[in-house]
Amino acid sequence: MTALVPETEPATAPAAARSASRTTLAAVGALARFEARRLLLRVPVLLALAGYAAWIGWRTLQPWDDYPVLQDADRATQGGPLLVGLAALLCANHAVLRSRRRDTERHLAVLVLPQGHRTAAHALSVVPLALLTAAGVAVQFTWEALKPGAVGRGSVAELLVGPLTVLLFGAIGVLLARLAPSAVAAPLLVVLFFLMFVGAAFPFSGQETGAAWFAPVVGGPGTHPLPSALLGRPAGWHALYLAGLALTAALLAVLVSGTRTRTVRAGLAAALTLTVLGGVVQTGGVPQVTTAARLRASLTPEKDQTCVRQGTTAYCAFPEWTPRIGDWARVVRRVQSLAGGPAHGQRLLVRQRVEARYGLYDDAALRPSTTPHQVTVGTSWGGNRVPEFSTAVAAVLVAGDEKTAGELCDGRMVTVMWLSLAWQSDPEAQLRHVRVDDSLTGPAVVLSRTEPLTMTAGQTKVVRALLHQPFYGVAARVKAHWSELTKPRISTARAAELLGVRAGAGADRCE
Amino acid sequence: MIPALAVPVWRTLPWRTLGAAGAAGLLTAGLSRLPGTEPDSRLALGLLRGAALAGALGLAFLLDDPARDGTTTVPTGRAARTALRVALVAPVAALWWAAALLLVPGAHRPPAGAVTLEAGTACALALAAATVAVRHSDDPRPGRPAATAVLVTALLAPLLLPSRWALFTGPEDPRWAAAHDRWAWLLAGAVTVGVASLGEPLGHPFRRTADQPT
Repeated sequence: MTALVPETEPATAPAAARSASRTTLAAVGALARFEARRLLLRVPVLLALAGYAAWIGWRTLQPWDDYPVLQDADRATQGGPLLVGLAALLCANHAVLRSRRRDTERHLAVLVLPQGHRTAAHALSVVPLALLTAAGVAVQFTWEALKPGAVGRGSVAELLVGPLTVLLFGAIGVLLARLAPSAVAAPLLVVLFFLMFVGAAFPFSGQETGAAWFAPVVGGPGTHPLPSALLGRPAGWHALYLAGLALTAALLAVLVSGTRTRTVRAGLAAALTLTVLGGVVQTGGVPQVTTAARLRASLTPEKDQTCVRQGTTAYCAFPEWTPRIGDWARVVRRVQSLAGGPAHGQRLLVRQRVEARYGLYDDAALRPSTTPHQVTVGTSWGGNRVPEFSTAVAAVLVAGDEKTAGELCDGRMVTVMWLSLAWQSDPEAQLRHVRVDDSLTGPAVVLSRTEPLTMTAGQTKVVRALLHQPFYGVAARVKAHWSELTKPRISTARAAELLGVRAGAGADRCE
Repeated sequence: MIPALAVPVWRTLPWRTLGAAGAAGLLTAGLSRLPGTEPDSRLALGLLRGAALAGALGLAFLLDDPARDGTTTVPTGRAARTALRVALVAPVAALWWAAALLLVPGAHRPPAGAVTLEAGTACALALAAATVAVRHSDDPRPGRPAATAVLVTALLAPLLLPSRWALFTGPEDPRWAAAHDRWAWLLAGAVTVGVASLGEPLGHPFRRTADQPT
């Protein structure tokens, strides 16, 4: 029995061509979907995705990440996708070489899809993996943005870098398979890329401008976040460069495979133009206006800042950080409530300061302020930054200003550290955190956003003894002897005696 | 028998793959001499490890034999042929590694003996992976899965190894010596596994053949 074929109208030539090209597109789409499914189920890709998911979770759950600054959090999404990209490179390359390896190239050659179209399908098969990476980036960034302590704003162009890297590496894998059809090529390129882009062996890596921008991921988040207006990163141009490069690699692979239609050539020319445009503009360096803004924010931050008064203290912060003023105010209130004498009601000025003149990755301490009763606060918060700020407030309350506080060498250090730590939960752990070497005995340097303070072994012993004593008793004695405790050149032994502890204090640094 | 085999085996070695891997390794080691790279001993160590990995990836393809179906039946057993391949390539690999070591600027070169142990272990692991792949498949080119396994292991191990079993430490790290004890154990393990899987298995362990009693 035969089926009756319904009679169709004779197709005209353009319609037939259109229908043929539609069939080809559908076939490319079907092959791309099939290859995408295979790619997603390959062991290296699965391992990379599992590692990527674990990396997101591990990073985002860290306690020091409770107060993210979103203009840095967007850049922090770029490292993880590199691993997925390397897996995409390896597996896309293997997939293109499969027909060679299994010797099915001859069979495929007689089918409807020419090699160029199959190459295009392989390049397209990386897209779902890139979309999956985009979902990972979105989850990571949204998670950061939803944290109650988040400030600042992210940039879409920085978030695009992760998925575009996966796309680019996948396209490079496909191109490599067409240029050097050998099974060893992709693993070797993966090693080279791993060393260059993950292991920082890329020449110029670590620089902020210039040729460093030819790498897919440029610089992670810096130590101290800066206001978003001071970043001066050509993120948009870099995203354009990556997208152009990925398209160029994919189209070049199609061209090398033998499909040399006008569309492919025009597309390749367009992609190359995009790449060159993005590549040239992104290396242009930090714009003049950003340099000027960095200078202004570093030297005269008051011109950019918003000030809020809470209680007796004024808080001046860059506009993006004003939501954090409440956290600072809580620390200042607690420290000041422990102080005695005039310091108890002293009007303080908490000013946020940055040092942006030397670029995003500068890790220098700020110059201590000489203005009386002014406390410096940085742009990071959470973790060790809280006891660090608490110590800065206590030091200014005791010494009067930051410059003097930085030179403290006598028994006043005991009062400073007790004020800084006593109000916190688990003060001894905080003492450990605020000391650079994480020690609880011996002399140590105390963290500070400006000049670091130093504790002698004797002062450490006395402070720990004080923290073991009943809180209210020590608090009363601090208030009662405030004027003597904050007098310059009081010895640590005398401070210990006034506060009612017996601990061998030893000599002070300035004695 | 072996001298007679040496020349044909030498000619069937995958020289292009080995050459590509060697070139990539030398390129990697030479990255530290590029302008714009800050000289740094940690980076130099990383690059040497990368070069060793590239060499190991090449060696994973050493047992690829397109004529495997034909050579299975020759009187000289597979153990001897594999050993001959390794013996033929070993001096070349040693020369290549010396060149890679010399490419790193002397001031930043890590202790040569320790890094050579690491490189030797990487190569032994790759060869062991290839031997195991040959033993457990009929694929005439078992290099690709072996190389993939070596690559994935090498990239994930530094991320996943707990600090107690750290392998990828720097010379200034107090765990450097202990890490190299572990490298030596790893080398011994790789050699043992490789030697144990050298021979042609007598009958497939996992497949019942018709003449076996059920």
